[in-house]
Amino acid sequence: MRSSKFVLRLALLGVVVMLALGISVVSAQETSIINLYSSGDTNITDWLQNIIIPAFEAEYPQYKVQFTNSRAAGDEPIIDRALAALQTGDDPQVEVMDIDPRGFGASVEAGLWYEPTVEEIPNLANVIEAAQVTPLAASYRGSQVLIAYNSEVVAEEDVPTTFAELIEWIKANPGQFVYCRPDRGGSGGNFVRRAVYEVSGMDPAVWTPEFNQELVDEFYPQAMALLQEIHPFIYDDGAYPAGNNPVLELFASGEVSMISAWSDQAIQGIDRGFLPETTKLLQFTDLPMPGGYTMLAIPKNAANLKGAQDFVNWFLSPEAQALVVEVIGGFPAIAWDQLTPELQERFNSVITESVPTWPGGDYNPPLTEMWYETVATNIDPNS
Amino acid sequence: MVARSTRSLLPYLLITPPIILVFGLIFFPAAQSFIRTLTGADGGFSFERYLEFMNDRSSVTSLIFTFQVTFFSLIGLFAICYPLALYLRFSNSRVAYWAQMVALLPLFVPGIMSAYALIRFFRGRGLLETIIYQLSPVLAETYYSPYVKPEGIIIGSIWESIPFTVLVLLAGLRQVESGLIESAQDVGASRWTIFFQIILPLTRRAALIAFCLNFIAIFGSYTIPYLLGPAAPQTLGVLMQRTYQEYAQPLQAETQAVITFAVCALVGLLYVRTVSSQRTGRN
Repeated sequence: MRSSKFVLRLALLGVVVMLALGISVVSAQETSIINLYSSGDTNITDWLQNIIIPAFEAEYPQYKVQFTNSRAAGDEPIIDRALAALQTGDDPQVEVMDIDPRGFGASVEAGLWYEPTVEEIPNLANVIEAAQVTPLAASYRGSQVLIAYNSEVVAEEDVPTTFAELIEWIKANPGQFVYCRPDRGGSGGNFVRRAVYEVSGMDPAVWTPEFNQELVDEFYPQAMALLQEIHPFIYDDGAYPAGNNPVLELFASGEVSMISAWSDQAIQGIDRGFLPETTKLLQFTDLPMPGGYTMLAIPKNAANLKGAQDFVNWFLSPEAQALVVEVIGGFPAIAWDQLTPELQERFNSVITESVPTWPGGDYNPPLTEMWYETVATNIDPNS
Repeated sequence: MVARSTRSLLPYLLITPPIILVFGLIFFPAAQSFIRTLTGADGGFSFERYLEFMNDRSSVTSLIFTFQVTFFSLIGLFAICYPLALYLRFSNSRVAYWAQMVALLPLFVPGIMSAYALIRFFRGRGLLETIIYQLSPVLAETYYSPYVKPEGIIIGSIWESIPFTVLVLLAGLRQVESGLIESAQDVGASRWTIFFQIILPLTRRAALIAFCLNFIAIFGSYTIPYLLGPAAPQTLGVLMQRTYQEYAQPLQAETQAVITFAVCALVGLLYVRTVSSQRTGRN
């Protein structure tokens, strides 16, 4: 009698365990995976992992976002894998990438990228015109490169307001300014591009997305000559650190008193006390340094295409866009007036309408190459 | 009979997976790359890609620079590690025990972390300059920061390679029998005689092994030269990455890689000869 009761209890327990297991299996089947890759700086990858993904998963419990930081290995191998999968029909194991597809020519030619539409991603309708730079991906945040300076060291009347004044300031204050290698961080890259604008009549409209070799031949050597002029006056007799963060660190330690920096990284640095309280930001009044929009690209062979679309759609909602501004000090991809008045007020100093966008693509490799071969080595471009 | 034949087959069976891996993942792709670099635009045999490398100023500068950095790193490494290993071998004090622990520490620090730690340590207004400033502000004014300079790569490479070098040299020194040294002392040999006549010749092989493996590691390294080194010139590892990713020139990057591989393979050959002479008992 006792033993049969025991068996019964055991059986009941077994049923409960089986049910619990069954339920968990069912729920595991219901959540589908979205593989997200980003090679952004730490502020971006931290933000994606700790703020964005939990917020998205809370609203869309049917999805689980698997985040991979591709900063060390680069995005190239992931794209290569997706391209190979496109040919073989396999799962590319990637749904969303934090990249501008135009920088990866082979993948564009092969037609790897899904072109977002308002039908499938309704919030795309919120995106402002300036942010719609390519049909191959959805812009989700913007930023610009600014000049950051320590107001304790640099007197208010000496602060440059134009690029030409900055050049003079650098020469008058040897070792006090630094920018990073143009290919290792946008804060250096856009500084170099601003030099290109400076010598080409300060008209960004000249630099259309269609690659024009004549523009390169005419203006790149002039820009290099300008940068060579300031080379001896750059930090430590022309030492260029290998990225945005090393430049911010030199500034934070007081080694230099003026740098070129991403708006979002500088704002975040001041907010968190990583940069000195006396840090001030400025944008040139004649022509701002280029900035750009960062986008989410979806390979069209993504296994979970619907998940990718839902993720991007959520990212373009006013709630998620507020997280762009609030947490990382970036620009929204949607109009500012869709955000709260408090936010608009707080970020008044960085709201600009006229941030030029560098066309990138084929214009970048020769610029980087020429910079390394003439400016970094300090060799005459015409020799 | 059956058992015997299986037993004789077993070693071959056991070495098959590593051989497949080595051939499939290293030799085969390397040979493919090598053949591709010797193929001209017309599909025939041609040296044009190597000529292009040799005619490109930044590639040649980079090759020479990589040799220089590796050479000075190795000199610095031996200057630090050989005396240290000697001390550790012949001292039984507690200090020696702790010194060994400290010397092995970099082994457990990932490369990228040590690179950032070194940046914070020796850049301007870093820890080192701050300490010097506390001691003498005048002296601090003459401080020369190796950050973003060739010296940065050399110091970083030395720091990373110390544990391995000390371990290998120490193992070599431990093979020198104490009896040998004691008998030399008994017949009145001076310390220098003992060092030059006994210790140095007997540790030649260990030193060669340390030399070869460190050469290969430093010559092909990426993280340290990228983070600590200057924007120009750059070592081959950094140039390769830039050529491949920034300039989207995989063919040129491949040529650079094959040249790097060839240099390392030559040194690798020296290593293999050194090790195999040990196996067969030759000196």
